[in-house]
Amino acid sequence: MSDDKLLVVKDLTTTFATAGGDLAAVAGVSFDLERNETLGIVGESGSGKTVLSRTIMGLQPRVNTTVTGSSIIDGFEVVGASENEKRTIWGTEVAMVFQDPMTSLNPVMRIGKQIDEALRVRLGMNRKDAKARAIELLELVGIPSPVQRYNAYPGQLSGGMRQRVVIAIALACSPKLLMADEPTTGLDVTIQAQILNLLDELKERLEMSVILVTHDLGVVATRTSRIVVMYAGRIVETGTTRDVFYHHRMPYTRALLESSPKVSNKSHTRLITIPGRPPNLLNLSDGCSFAPRCKYATDQCHLVRPELQPSVEPGHSFACWNPLPVNAEATLP
Amino acid sequence: MLRYLTKRLMLLVGIVFVISVGSFYLIHLLPGNPATVILGFGATPEAKAILYKQLGLSKPIYLQYFVWLGNIMRGNLGISFISQTTVASVIRSALPIDAEIIVISQIMAFAAAIPTAMRSARKPDGILDRVLGATSFTLLSIPPYILIVVLVLFISLKLGVSATGPSAYVPFATDWITNLESLSLPAFTLATVSYVIYYRVLRSDLIATLQEEFITMARSKGISQRRIMWRHAFRPSSVALLGAASVNIGSLLAAGFVVQYLLQIPGLGYTLILAINESDFLVVQGIVLTVSVLVVAINFFFDFVINIVDPRISRE
Ligand SMILES: Nc1ncnc2c1ncn2[C@@H]1O[C@H](COP(=O)(O)OP(=O)(O)O)[C@@H](O)[C@H]1O
Ligand SMILES: [Mg+2]
Repeated sequence: MSDDKLLVVKDLTTTFATAGGDLAAVAGVSFDLERNETLGIVGESGSGKTVLSRTIMGLQPRVNTTVTGSSIIDGFEVVGASENEKRTIWGTEVAMVFQDPMTSLNPVMRIGKQIDEALRVRLGMNRKDAKARAIELLELVGIPSPVQRYNAYPGQLSGGMRQRVVIAIALACSPKLLMADEPTTGLDVTIQAQILNLLDELKERLEMSVILVTHDLGVVATRTSRIVVMYAGRIVETGTTRDVFYHHRMPYTRALLESSPKVSNKSHTRLITIPGRPPNLLNLSDGCSFAPRCKYATDQCHLVRPELQPSVEPGHSFACWNPLPVNAEATLP
Repeated sequence: MLRYLTKRLMLLVGIVFVISVGSFYLIHLLPGNPATVILGFGATPEAKAILYKQLGLSKPIYLQYFVWLGNIMRGNLGISFISQTTVASVIRSALPIDAEIIVISQIMAFAAAIPTAMRSARKPDGILDRVLGATSFTLLSIPPYILIVVLVLFISLKLGVSATGPSAYVPFATDWITNLESLSLPAFTLATVSYVIYYRVLRSDLIATLQEEFITMARSKGISQRRIMWRHAFRPSSVALLGAASVNIGSLLAAGFVVQYLLQIPGLGYTLILAINESDFLVVQGIVLTVSVLVVAINFFFDFVINIVDPRISRE
């Protein structure tokens, strides 16, 4: 039943008015999300993942920003809603775990207070109950001695601990949809796995849907059911995690996979980046945005933008004029 | 935090020491015999001889300093040869006037600067922001003492207020209405000078803070705009404001002198100018010393407050 989808995004476009002209950081993105599903959004840095995930929940900048299309979270149309209307779903329906725990916590507010706030303002709890619940949440996200940590300032905690606090805040009002925007990018490798496992575990326990945003396909490999691959603000390939990993058709997806340290060929000990530079969004051609960096590109690629088209597997589509052969898996481990 | 404050305190003790040496040495910079300087030209040789002994003026200068410092520490700043009262009592009756003017002016300035800066920062380039931006920029480009003179003259002419003379001054405890009436104009002028600084400093810091990720985070919790401004944006944006206030209040003491002189209000400034005219050296010395120590104390106080407001500072 399509009505029962938790999130339906249709033709979502986010345009910033900048000094250099209008910049479409997200351009015509459509996808949807089932309840209790984990979806991955991947793409190299600058591909529009952050802008997309913020726009989905209506959290884009308030000035010089235009959003069109539609994003419906559990029946609530986010696009066009006023700040006050959106406030009614923020925290309770949808919450965000931000990328950098060094900057996403208020540096001059005790962490306990930052958790309390949501509970008191949004759920109307009294001071005492909110504190008790905040300490429970700190415990839930695996912070040792939560009673003492309640009074700590963010600066007194390590990066991993701070990200746990950010997760505790996001979970405070039991959202149905949790957006995690590169939740581990700023953290040590060992801590990264811990945080990702924590998110997995909480998702099961609290019956949430999760959108996991990352530039590293290795992060989403085992954690998501479906993946959306983004380039220059558009979806260039989408399908089940399996299809994206083993049956991808878009050369950019291949390049992303090869640049991921965990899934790439073992001989590649160093992180390989995709050759060429990300496109300038202020000056996009009419063709495929990836064409200038693509070794399979033809004239057509430079002149006409390919639309998403279905591949052989159901739900798997890609936007490419010269896709990789259907059984591209042979070249990957 | 304690370590940080101890360090600051030690620095301040050092500064106070330098100030005290300077104030002490003032007397030796003036032409003539110190006893003449202190007692005035009309002093009898007997009086001079007594003072000579009291101050140990025949001893080496560093010993003289310690004798002098010992007296100061006991609150003995000497006797004004004009009024024949102790310098301490002169200061004690004048200082509350300065304190009151400054406290009232700062309450006015903060009460006006904080809400208007908040509004401007929420809608940069809105009408309010443009008007206040242009006004404060103009006012800020005028040197404060000139602005003060202009304000005092303008307002007193408009309102028909005229200086009633220092003897008309009534302390707060005696008749607070008359007291506030006489001090509201000087406080208002100092508040205006302070307002333009506070408004601009706070506005620009708020605008910077509102770009921070933790503000988006606060937004994503679904709390009100008001709450975001007051609970999340204000505190981290107020460090520069407090720093500006710390510096500004020091200079307001001096600016207040001008106002007091214009309006004939017998605060420290008025007293100081009189004393200079009358060559009442010990009063000058006492006031210079008091004001210097006061400035240092105000600085320390604001350091302390800034530390509480932003715990990151002492950790770095
Ligand atoms: N507020 C903004 N104003 C103008 N351009 C922006 C703004 N935010 C993001 N962008 C641009 O949008 C593009 C996508 O950014 P982002 O979503 O942060 O990428 P990602 O998260 O995939 O690394 C980038 O080119 C970035 O410069
Ligand atoms: Mg990002």
